[in-house]
Amino acid sequence: MDYVGSRFPEFGPPGPPGRELTSAKIVVAGGFGVGKSTFIRSIVENDLLTMSSLAPERAGGVTELVRIQFGRVWLDPGLALHLFVAPQWQDPRAGWNDVVRGAVGAVVLFDVMRPADSVDAMRYFEDQNIPYVLALNNIHASVRSDVTAIIRGMGISPDVPVMNCDPRVRLSVREALISLTEHAKLDRWRRRPGPDETTPLAPVC
Amino acid sequence: MSPSPDAPRRRSRAETPAEQTFADLMNGFSLDSGRKRPRTTEQEPAREATPVVPQADARAFESSVQETHESSIVRAYAWTGGRTRSNIDLEIETLVSANDQSRHSAGILQAEHQRVVELCHSPRSVAEVAALMRLPLGVVKVLLGDMAERGLVDVHQTASAGGDTPDLGLMERVLSGLRRL
Repeated sequence: MDYVGSRFPEFGPPGPPGRELTSAKIVVAGGFGVGKSTFIRSIVENDLLTMSSLAPERAGGVTELVRIQFGRVWLDPGLALHLFVAPQWQDPRAGWNDVVRGAVGAVVLFDVMRPADSVDAMRYFEDQNIPYVLALNNIHASVRSDVTAIIRGMGISPDVPVMNCDPRVRLSVREALISLTEHAKLDRWRRRPGPDETTPLAPVC
Repeated sequence: MSPSPDAPRRRSRAETPAEQTFADLMNGFSLDSGRKRPRTTEQEPAREATPVVPQADARAFESSVQETHESSIVRAYAWTGGRTRSNIDLEIETLVSANDQSRHSAGILQAEHQRVVELCHSPRSVAEVAALMRLPLGVVKVLLGDMAERGLVDVHQTASAGGDTPDLGLMERVLSGLRRL
């Protein structure tokens, strides 16, 4: 066979060549060691790539390279979903703009033993009006209601979905991504311009 | 390359600044940065004799030189001619793919363009190209922007490009794709 797509079959999208291609991205944020890379690895099923980017100059005038891990999975023959780890940074928001701009939304992984680590990320997404969900890692189900109360007490919007998530389990990661996308869809619907305030029908699962 | 033939070349470069090529310029950079500590006093005039690079860029070079794969980064910025912005709107997740024209002109492309074409035989995102070529994101954006303008790669715009949020149709597609995983 001599057509172009057959030459590198292992890299390409699963569809026929020539189909219209597009991509989307989701950001995974949270404190150090909370399982962001593991979360992405569970869904893309191969090693993550690392790209470097020059962060915007901070107050000190220092320009340094930020390393950003990400993974990619083809959701359908023409759609590549990218999952980016929000880079850790002394000022966590520097270097996030390229990653966050145009994202479907963000999953904030939240370690209940170290809640302060993820607060910066949550505040950032709140301020930027980026839809996000809280995925609680390292938690026993029986204490979940207490944790939820604490989170609500921190001033996080009541619309934000909160769920348990084990980043090592593919199904759990998938659930978190699905509920993020549903939340983002609703959020987008509410924000769309126009007088009509109706919400879309609940998705049929 | 040994540092000994460096001094005469630098002198001749200063005499005929009009004949400098980017390769000369970049050689000057790497040699200077390697000898930064012993020859700090001579470093400044050499840099001022390079009219192509403004001072602000020179500082950016210097700080990236301290990183681990410094030489490749310095070379990379030489490819972009010191530019840090692309004319084409590329997000990190934007997909690019090589097209027929680039495949046919495979033998006559610049080395970096050739590598991009090889990588992009199947569609890859800007972020993937940056990661696989081990180049900073800004450099890859400029490189891909140039190649897109010359018609060497096709850019598949994301539905979110231009706006701040992806449209509902794309979200619906993401959702059904995730459910199928």
